[in-house]
Amino acid sequence: MPKRPKAQAVQPEPAPQSSSEEEQDEQPLGEELDLSSEEEFADDEGASEEGEEEEQSEDDDEAAAEDGADEDIRQAIAEYYQAASEQRRPADATGNGVPAETSGREHESSGRPLDPGSDSSEDERPSRNTIGDVPLVWYKDEDHIGYDAQGAKIGKSQRGDKLEQLLARNDSRKALRTIYDAYNDEDIVLSKEELRMIMRIRKGQFPHVEVNPYEPYLDYFSGDVDPTPIINAPEPKRRFIPSKHEEAKIVKLVRAIRKGWIKTGKAKRAQQQQPQVYLLWGDDDQADSAKTGSHLTYIPPAKPKLPGHEESYNPPKEYVPTEEEKAGWELLPPEERPGYVPQAFECLRHVPLYANFIKERFERCLDLYLCPRVRKKRMFIDPKTLVPKLPKPQDLQPFPQTLALRFSGHTSRVRCIAPHPSGQWLASGSDDGTVRLWEVATGRCSAKWTLGEPIMSVGWCPNAALQLLGAAVGKRLVLLLSGLGGEEVEAAARAACKVPAAAAAGGEQQQQQLARWESRPDGGLELHTQHPVRQITWHARGDYFASVAPTGATQAVLVHQLSRHSTQNPFRKNRGRVQRVAFHPLKPFFFVATQNAVRIYNLAKQALAKKLLGGSGVISAMAVHPSGDHVIVGSEDKRLAWYDLDLSTSPYKALRYHSYAVRGAAFHSTYPLFASSSDDGTAHVFHGRVYADLMTNPLIVPVKILRGHKVVDSAGVLDCAFHPTQPWLFTAGADGDVLLFCN
Amino acid sequence: MGKKQKRGKAGNAAQYLTRNQAIKKLQLRLSEFRRLCILKGVHPREPKRKVKGANKTYYHVKDINWLAHEPLIQNFRAVKVHERRVSKARAKANFSLARRLMRAKPGYKLDHLVRERYPSFIDALRDLDDPLTLLHLFATLPAEGRLGISASTVDKCRRLVLEWNAYVARTSSLRRVFVSVKGFYYQAEVAGCSVTWLVPHQLAQVLPADVDFTVMLTFLEFYATLVQFVMFKLYHNLGLRYPPVADKSLEAAAAGLAGIMKDIAGLAADEQQQQGEQQQQQQDGTAAAAAALPDVVQRLGTLGKKLQELQQQQQQGDTAAAAAAAEDESEELPEIDSGGGDDSESEADSEADAAEDEDEEEEDEEGSSAEESEEDAAGSEEEQQQQQQQQEAAGDDDDAAGVSGAAVAGGGLGSVDPDDDAGLCSVLLQGCVFWLAREVPREPLLLMIRAFGGTAAWEGPGSPLQEADEAITHQIVDRPTQGHKFLSRAYVQPQWLFDSINHRVLLPAELYAPGKVPPPHLSPFVDNEAEGYTPEFARTIKQLQEAARAARRAAAGLATEAAFLQDGSAADPAAAAAAAAPGEDDAVAEKVYQKELAKELGAAQGVEAGDADQGSEEEEGSEQGSDEEEDAAAAAAGKKRKAAAAGATGKAAEEDEEAAMADIMMTRKNRKLYARINRAIEGKAERVAALEQRKAKLAGQQQQQQQVAAGGRLKRQRKAA
Repeated sequence: MPKRPKAQAVQPEPAPQSSSEEEQDEQPLGEELDLSSEEEFADDEGASEEGEEEEQSEDDDEAAAEDGADEDIRQAIAEYYQAASEQRRPADATGNGVPAETSGREHESSGRPLDPGSDSSEDERPSRNTIGDVPLVWYKDEDHIGYDAQGAKIGKSQRGDKLEQLLARNDSRKALRTIYDAYNDEDIVLSKEELRMIMRIRKGQFPHVEVNPYEPYLDYFSGDVDPTPIINAPEPKRRFIPSKHEEAKIVKLVRAIRKGWIKTGKAKRAQQQQPQVYLLWGDDDQADSAKTGSHLTYIPPAKPKLPGHEESYNPPKEYVPTEEEKAGWELLPPEERPGYVPQAFECLRHVPLYANFIKERFERCLDLYLCPRVRKKRMFIDPKTLVPKLPKPQDLQPFPQTLALRFSGHTSRVRCIAPHPSGQWLASGSDDGTVRLWEVATGRCSAKWTLGEPIMSVGWCPNAALQLLGAAVGKRLVLLLSGLGGEEVEAAARAACKVPAAAAAGGEQQQQQLARWESRPDGGLELHTQHPVRQITWHARGDYFASVAPTGATQAVLVHQLSRHSTQNPFRKNRGRVQRVAFHPLKPFFFVATQNAVRIYNLAKQALAKKLLGGSGVISAMAVHPSGDHVIVGSEDKRLAWYDLDLSTSPYKALRYHSYAVRGAAFHSTYPLFASSSDDGTAHVFHGRVYADLMTNPLIVPVKILRGHKVVDSAGVLDCAFHPTQPWLFTAGADGDVLLFCN
Repeated sequence: MGKKQKRGKAGNAAQYLTRNQAIKKLQLRLSEFRRLCILKGVHPREPKRKVKGANKTYYHVKDINWLAHEPLIQNFRAVKVHERRVSKARAKANFSLARRLMRAKPGYKLDHLVRERYPSFIDALRDLDDPLTLLHLFATLPAEGRLGISASTVDKCRRLVLEWNAYVARTSSLRRVFVSVKGFYYQAEVAGCSVTWLVPHQLAQVLPADVDFTVMLTFLEFYATLVQFVMFKLYHNLGLRYPPVADKSLEAAAAGLAGIMKDIAGLAADEQQQQGEQQQQQQDGTAAAAAALPDVVQRLGTLGKKLQELQQQQQQGDTAAAAAAAEDESEELPEIDSGGGDDSESEADSEADAAEDEDEEEEDEEGSSAEESEEDAAGSEEEQQQQQQQQEAAGDDDDAAGVSGAAVAGGGLGSVDPDDDAGLCSVLLQGCVFWLAREVPREPLLLMIRAFGGTAAWEGPGSPLQEADEAITHQIVDRPTQGHKFLSRAYVQPQWLFDSINHRVLLPAELYAPGKVPPPHLSPFVDNEAEGYTPEFARTIKQLQEAARAARRAAAGLATEAAFLQDGSAADPAAAAAAAAPGEDDAVAEKVYQKELAKELGAAQGVEAGDADQGSEEEEGSEQGSDEEEDAAAAAAGKKRKAAAAGATGKAAEEDEEAAMADIMMTRKNRKLYARINRAIEGKAERVAALEQRKAKLAGQQQQQQQVAAGGRLKRQRKAA
């Protein structure tokens, strides 16, 4: 008969134990809590119990030999009585002044035989509440905590406030082993046994003292000869005869050992310790193959830099940093500090261990197997070869080189300048609301018109018979009688500027939206447009002039005819905000620069001829070469782009040399020169030769950087223009001056 | 139209795998993959287009396929399984099984990897820097089982390191040595490849916690295998057995290198007999120095005596200098022994060193020897004499250059072509016998001395000589003061050896006297001209080198002449017999040498017979004259400079503008490149400027100190008066 499971044998035990607990309860609190000491005691107890158990089990065995069934029944009855007496005992305790509520509940909850030795979860205290696994907050505001098995509400217990609880806690001796079960709304007092169990679990031991994990192994298939064997066949003969196969094997081994093929013992160990080396590379030293086994080119690891003088243990004195330098380095953030600080030692014996040696070797190892290797070609370039060979500026003369004159008078930034076609006069417009006429030769201001608002643009009418000066002011275009060229010219100009009342009235209906022509009291002409005008530019013949109002949307570009006092809007729609416009000097073409492209319209065909693609920046200046085949465009991204109209729609050359936005650009009418001005306060002059031969690209050579203007409010040189006949350049600065640079 | 390509089937996407993909493909763990990569030398690649993201590591698919065919993977698996078996047996307390299993541990070899990675021997030599450095490091580490550094690993490293050093010393292939704060850098020329390795200082290493030693040990595993095979080939080429048998007793006495070298030398003896006569002579110089020594000693002794006699003759007239004679003797004796018969090291010093050095010496003398005030008179005379010698040296340049060159040229003066670096290295210290004091690191010095043809002795077993031996010419010490001094040898700090080796000249020993701060130790790996800054001491050395070169050339000429003479006289059988006599050559050399000495001393007497005072006045006068000239020149130069400065600013501005305009026309790429190059140039110039500035500052400080010291001396003199 297999041995009985131990649990049964143990079961009678808890009862006397719990009774001893009750007695211990009377002891003072401090001792009660000293579980660890008690634990040992418990262990001892357990041990002694085990001893008892064994005796008992032996007894049981004896009894079993006599009458097994009776014994079982007797055992069960004893268990029953013990459980019943245990139930009774707490009830008795209530009479002894122990708080009635808690003990009562405890008694209630343990409505089943308490079996601390059981592992089953079913043997745990059953819940009196049946609400299931729901959040308890659902019952927070109710006066019951749930329902019992019969479906009756379970009322909330009067737990009292915190103070009462505290007092109760202090009064009760069991306070420290009492826990509150919120689910069943009851206090549970843990018994000694339970506490011990918890302690054992925390220690990683079996919860129950009685469990023995090292039970003696019961060998079913032991070597002992059973009196009643399962198989009763006789032993086969082969068990008694030596194996021939094995013999053959042994013979083989013996022979191998004798002949020294297999080494044993010391010889073997000695053989293992000898380095197994041989001539790996024969005499035929093959040419080093660049391929690895993976058929990829072998990239040897980069060799670390060899140490310089500074790494010496006794470097020249100048290599050792001074104390101040060292202190300065220590203030730097760690990543900027020099990796190695030279040190000097007076003699070799003073040199200490280099603490980072192993670390550095380790890092080298990491580099060797974790860093991607790339074969890089190191170029040894003489920097001079990178500099393009340009013709010397001296060979490209004439060009403006020196500051010759300063036209001072404007009180605010000068926005625009326009040299007179004769070259003797210069008109300038400024933010102070005045247009001034300067004599180029002397720098004298010969005339001044006050127009009230900042002058955005000025332009001379090319018609020499009129000598009119156009200016863009606010929403107006003003044509001024310059007073040059004598009385005849002035009379002609007055006549041209006289707006007949009928024309003014008749045209009103259709032209109301575009512009209103009005005579000025001083004999000039004024056009009132809908939008603030930024630019005025004249056609080469002097009859047409165009104006740009960037904010004007559909009316951004207007073309006006002086002789007929009429205004027309050539474009029904503009693609983008128009910045600049220009007439082709020879052909019926019209350039419109929007923010990022220049469109060239054929006025005769009334069609788009070409679209020049700009860069990323907003176009701020545009100039057309006198031949009409080349355009330079300056943009606010500091770029000046040269477009060869015969070549492509993208720039032939884009130069970025200004440090701020380009403000003005100009071609010279006769010399192969062009210039650009920028907010960085400089004007750059270039030699830009254009060849009649279509195969030769234009030659662009920078020849001079002109400085002279001050940068005021981050605005530098706002406009530049070449003298019509001489290689001279006028620049208009934000500092209120106009400068003339001569060759 | 071609078939549409599917995504990820061609190009970078198909050619490169990320690390995780590779691991998955190989079915390895990350640690195993890493190990395999280290052993196979597989490294990540940098694809042009990183398909799986920029933060990933990419391997080439061919590399991974190559790894996949590696038999080591199977071996590693077998090892893993074996380990599992053992641990299982242990867990079941089946210890006998565990023990039996442990004995049958599956092993693996890395031979095939060496062959695969380095198809030719030269390839392996080229990549030898890292292996040697790591081996040297592990040879000094403590065995630490916790980190997997077993004692056997350390032993193996130590053995390999010794074998390598022995090879280097034996073949005289060491070229440069640099002692840095990090350790000793060595550079050797092996089979036309220069191999550089770094050896930590011989102090106990502290194992850092943030280093993964498994990685280093994996590297070490491969490196040890590689170096073993390389060593086998090297030894094989020399006709030596590998592995050499180290002398256990010497190894125990921390003279392992000597032990291995002994073994090699013993083997080499057979080989030597087969080789020519000349070779044997060289061997005499190096390996069998002890045997050859008595001859040398005798010869040097006689030379010393003769010199003394000559000096006495010279000083017969000059009674005042008689007192100094004894001192001179004592000072010059060591130099007599130092080289192959060169008497005039002091001259070499006085010529080569800047005048400051002498000043310093004087100061030292005066500063240190208050009790030697009585000798001041003698000292001043000595100075005079030195000055005379200097003048004399300046007087006949050729002679002086020759003689001083001989002093610095070192051992193999006649036997080597000055342009043959390898030959020079093998005989540089020939005839020098070094005693290594206890406090100097023995192994590195032993390696250097032996590699450059010298003989080294030390305290302890295995040393060929005792400390008191007469044959010793140099004693290398590293202590503040040297108690007992043998007059017959020079006392130097270890740095003397490093510098002499690097610059291929025997530097004046006075500079490196014990207790003195030696001159700066310069890196031999730096090209000063390319760097843009030449330290002061490098210039001094250059002068010495030139002198040595001239001397070597002269000596080589002499030797060839002698050979020619011998050849000519070989026609006469009697003369031939005489020439064949071993002592003959020496006798000839001695005669030549004696003649030179006499000539020199005669010249010195002549100058002395003139007037010493006059000479000094002349010097002063010339100095004054030169000063005035300098002033005038300086003034003129100043004017010119001012005038030039005005022009220069204009010119500079023009140039600036030109540069700016050229800049406009450059393409953006070129402009960036140009800027980068210029930045580099500027950075270099800045560094050089910083050095110059510091140097000027230091010079200023030194001057101040000197002035203060001079003031103090004046005061003292007045007080004494």
